[in-house]
Amino acid sequence: MMTAMKSHAELESIAALDAIGAATADEASAFRVHRASCADCRRARDEYEEAATLLARDLDPVTPPPALRDRIFLAIDGQDESDNVVDARDRFGSRRWWMVAAALFLALWGWRELSVRVIREKATISEAEMRRLAGENQLLTARNEKLSAEMAALASQDTRTISLTGQQVSPSASAKVFLEPKQRRAVVFFYNLPANPTDKSYQLWILRGDQPKPQSAGVFDVTRSGGASISIENLPLATEIKGLAVTLEPKGGVAQPTNTNFFVAGST
Amino acid sequence: MTAAMNTSFEPSSLLPAVAHGDLTAFEQLYDRHSSTLYALLLRILANPDDAQEVLQETFVKAWTNAKMFDAVRGSDVAWLISIARSRGIDRLRSRRIRGDREDEAGRELSSSFGFVEKRTGADDAIQSEERRAVRGALAELPEAQRAALALAYFEGLSQSEIAEKLGEPLGTIKTRMQLGMKKLRESLKAFR
Repeated sequence: MMTAMKSHAELESIAALDAIGAATADEASAFRVHRASCADCRRARDEYEEAATLLARDLDPVTPPPALRDRIFLAIDGQDESDNVVDARDRFGSRRWWMVAAALFLALWGWRELSVRVIREKATISEAEMRRLAGENQLLTARNEKLSAEMAALASQDTRTISLTGQQVSPSASAKVFLEPKQRRAVVFFYNLPANPTDKSYQLWILRGDQPKPQSAGVFDVTRSGGASISIENLPLATEIKGLAVTLEPKGGVAQPTNTNFFVAGST
Repeated sequence: MTAAMNTSFEPSSLLPAVAHGDLTAFEQLYDRHSSTLYALLLRILANPDDAQEVLQETFVKAWTNAKMFDAVRGSDVAWLISIARSRGIDRLRSRRIRGDREDEAGRELSSSFGFVEKRTGADDAIQSEERRAVRGALAELPEAQRAALALAYFEGLSQSEIAEKLGEPLGTIKTRMQLGMKKLRESLKAFR
């Protein structure tokens, strides 16, 4: 794909995104071409990559299990040292032969280093590009699967719609449930809910006629836009669902609701 | 301000010795950095089994590829973190494609509660001092910049995914991440 010419400053800014894998494919591609001939941008990219590691170095260290240490040392014991590690031992019998070999080595060394550098650079670029494309492909496939399931739930002629209305804590909020009874799945769209605090999650509950306790149908977050949606699989039979309600719970959700401050609720 | 950070905390590089097959240096490398890398992999994967597998892969790669380490381009720990993070994110993405929803839910839960298995005893004085300096550097990042960078770094999300998740325009997210990275790069100079 053709991309507009970017200035050096723009490309150096892309280096920052590239270093944490957040540059788009176009940006990464333009940057790769540029950095091949720009020592400043190569250095900037290295520095950004090291700078990003500060995020990791900020985490509280956690000691791995002692057995892992043994496993790792066992694993490297099986590696072919001569293939992978620089062998510093002098393997040449006589001093004379060593000098001839050294001279030959020095002559070839420059050529080899240059070739290796070029090959390594190309391999690194290809590897990074393949990883990036594989990652993007995986994300797109997952998104496609999710959208297909949601479309099926919305488009079925058996789909029922249930409206949930805002309650005392959030009167302007609402939600629509598109319930496909045959496949026992649903898609729920929420509107005008307040953004949840970072240590809390919204949790959707199914109130069942055949069970005394509500059943969790999933947790979700709401951003400043006030909107959210979730897909639910393996629902109870439609005749067993008496109603749905949303509460605010500790982050990640809980087994049973900790409060009865419903944000939206409705009955079937 | 980070005026107190112009000290180099990074002990001398062990990787050149590892490149020559020095097992003692490799042991020191493991003892010095494994708890940092394990914490990173738990943060990314929120699954001890996966984190341990990737940690093993990271150190095996460090052993076999140590000769490719270039001290001019960065420190030992940064090199190791880059390997571990890259492999951790690859593992996370392949798990996402498998639709491992339960793992994802567990990951959210674990990272929210700050997954702590056992705090290290190897966090010696130098590392504590370094971590204080790192905390100081990150404290200067506005929360919004830090949050966007964390989503990219620990969850491998793209700019557009981050924009969607935070409910912000794509351009805002891009600028925020670039400014955050520039600040981190400035902070890094204090460590060198």
